[in-house]
Amino acid sequence: MAHLSIQQLQVSYGDKTVLHNIDLNIQQGEMVALLGPSGCGKTTLLNALCGFVPVGSGSIFMAGKDITNQPPEQRNITMVFQSYALWPHMTVAQNIAYGLKVRRVPKTEIAERIKEMLEIVKLSGLENEKVTQLSGGQRQRVALARALVVKPDILVLDEPLSNLDAKVRLSVRHEIKALQQRLGFTSVIVTHDQEEALVMADRVAVLNNGHIEQIGTPEEIYQSPKTPFVADFMGADNRFVYAPKITGKAFRLYLPKTSLELHHLIYFRSSAASICKDLDNRNLDGLTLTGTVEQSAFLGQNYRHNVRHGEQLIQADSPDCWPLDSEVSVHVPPHALYVYPHMARSA
Amino acid sequence: MSRTVTMERSSVNAIGRFKLRWGFWGQTLFITLLALAFFGPVVNLLLWTVAESWFFPHAVPNEWGLKYWGQVFNPYSDVSGSLFTSVMIALASVMVCLLVSIPAGYAMSRRSMPWRLAFMLLFLLPQAFPNLTVYMNMARIFYSWNLNGTILGVILVHSVHGLMYSVWISVAAFSAIDPMLSRASRNLGAGPIYTFIHVVLPQATPGLIAASIFVFLESLDEFTGTFFVGAPEVSTLPLLLYSASMEGNYQISSITALILLVPSIGFMLLINRFMRPEVLSKLGQ
Repeated sequence: MAHLSIQQLQVSYGDKTVLHNIDLNIQQGEMVALLGPSGCGKTTLLNALCGFVPVGSGSIFMAGKDITNQPPEQRNITMVFQSYALWPHMTVAQNIAYGLKVRRVPKTEIAERIKEMLEIVKLSGLENEKVTQLSGGQRQRVALARALVVKPDILVLDEPLSNLDAKVRLSVRHEIKALQQRLGFTSVIVTHDQEEALVMADRVAVLNNGHIEQIGTPEEIYQSPKTPFVADFMGADNRFVYAPKITGKAFRLYLPKTSLELHHLIYFRSSAASICKDLDNRNLDGLTLTGTVEQSAFLGQNYRHNVRHGEQLIQADSPDCWPLDSEVSVHVPPHALYVYPHMARSA
Repeated sequence: MSRTVTMERSSVNAIGRFKLRWGFWGQTLFITLLALAFFGPVVNLLLWTVAESWFFPHAVPNEWGLKYWGQVFNPYSDVSGSLFTSVMIALASVMVCLLVSIPAGYAMSRRSMPWRLAFMLLFLLPQAFPNLTVYMNMARIFYSWNLNGTILGVILVHSVHGLMYSVWISVAAFSAIDPMLSRASRNLGAGPIYTFIHVVLPQATPGLIAASIFVFLESLDEFTGTFFVGAPEVSTLPLLLYSASMEGNYQISSITALILLVPSIGFMLLINRFMRPEVLSKLGQ
C-alpha cells in the first residue's frame, strides 16, 4: 500500500480548474519530483497536499487515513518553502524548535534534537544567529532542518534550489539527495528544472496544464517520453512533422516498428544527432536527412549546428565545427527518435 | 576663431558665477527666515520659562529665575496633577485603540475581507467632519450617558480620534507581513491562534508600537474634545495650558508647553526607527 495516495484530485480557483484528476501514489522512503513549466499546477498540487488550498473533488490518503479535508496543522506534512519563510524575529535554534514546541516535546529533548539536526545540516555553532544574518544556502538548510526535525510523514520541497546561485545549487542538490537517502524520509520535490528532477528523484511526474503527462523513473522519462510534451520538456527540442510523401533522396526515415504510411510527429535531441559529409549510399535505420549548415555555436564539449533542411531548421551536435553553407547529412539513430501519431493531418 | 570661443566660455562662466552667488545669498536668506520661523517662537517660549518678570518695552526679561519651575513641580500644583491625568488618559487611550486596531488591522490586512475599503474609510470619518461638530455631538450624547466630566468619557473621545491612526497603521503593519510566514507556522503544526501570537503579532509589533506612539501623542495634545467632554472636572495639560495663557500667566503656560514638547520629540525619534519603509508602503492599501 502506498504511503501517500492521491486519487482523482481536482482543484479549482473560482471557475478555473488548475488540477484535473490527478492520481499519484508515493511509496515510503521515495523521492518524487513534480516537474513542469510554470503555471502547470505543480505548486497548487503541493498546496493541496499541505492543506493550503481547498480540494474540489477527489481525495488524499496518508498511510491509509483520509486527510483530504484536514486543516494544515493536523497533517504531518512539512514544507520547505521556495522563499524559505523563516521567521525573522527568531534565531536559528528557535526556528527549528518551533514545530517541536507546538508538539509539546520536553525541553531537554528539543535541545538534543536541535543539536542533532544542526549537525546533519552542517550548521553547528550557528544556533543563536539571527536568520536574517545567514546566507541563502544557510537559510535553506535552516528551512530544511525546521521541516525535518518534526519527523514528518512527507517532506515537501517547493523549488528548493531556485533562490541559490548556480554553484551552490549543484552542491545543495547532492546534499539534499544524500540526506534523503541517509535518513530515508519520503519526499515530494517541485521543480521546473529537468536536470534537477533527474538527479534528485526516484520517480518523476511531469505535469502540464494540470494533468500528469507521465510518471516514471528518471530513465523512463528521459529515454522514452510518452507524449510530445514530455519529449519537448525533457530536452528533445527538434520537432518536425513526417508526411509519407517527403521521403526521397534528401530525407529518409526507416523505423522497424512504425508504419511509414502515416503522418508522424518526431522529436529528437540535438545531442543524439550526428553530422557526416555524405550518407547517401548507406541505408541506415533511423532518420537521415541532408541540409546546409546555417550557424554553429561552441558549447564546450562540442559544436551545435543549425542545419537547414527545406523549411525545417534542425539542431545537431558534432565534435567538429562544420563550415557555414556546407552540405551535410544529419543522422539520428532509431532509439533516439520519439515518434508520435500526428492527429491533425493524418486524416 | 579660438578667441571667440574663449570669450564665449568666459561670459558663460560669469553668468554661472552670478547665478551661483545669487543662489547662495538667496539660500542663506531663505534658511535664516525658516530658522526664525521654526525657532523664534521656541526661543520666546524658553525665555518665558526662566523669566520671573518681563514687561513690555524690554527685549529680554527684567528678572531671571526658576521660581515658576518650583511652582510647577510642586507636588500639590495643578500642573503635576494634570500631567498625571494626561499621561493616564493617554495610556488608556493607547490600550483602547490597540484593543480595537489589532483585530481590525489583522482582519482588514486580508484581501479577502468583504467591504474592506468601506471599513477603512469608516475610521477616517471622524476626521472628515469639522472637529467641533463631532465633539459637540459626542458631548451631548455622553451627557445623557453620564459620561460627561468623567475620565472614561475623555478616554473614549481620545480613542475615537486616535483610532484613525492606529487602525490605518495596523492594517499597513499586518499587510507588510509575508503570508508565507504564517503558512509555515500552520505547516509545522500550529493552529491559527498559536500562529497569530507567535508569528504574526511579533512581526507586526514595530508597526503597532508606532501606532501606539501616535495615539499617545495625539491624546497628550488633544484639546477640543477634552474641553467639550471633560472640562471642568477633568483637567489635562492642554486644558491647563489654555487657562494659564488666558489668565496671562505666561510662565506657567510656557513650562507646560515645554513639558508637552518633550514626549513629542522623544517619540518622534523613536517612530523614525519603527516605521520601516515596507510598512509605510502598505499604508492605505
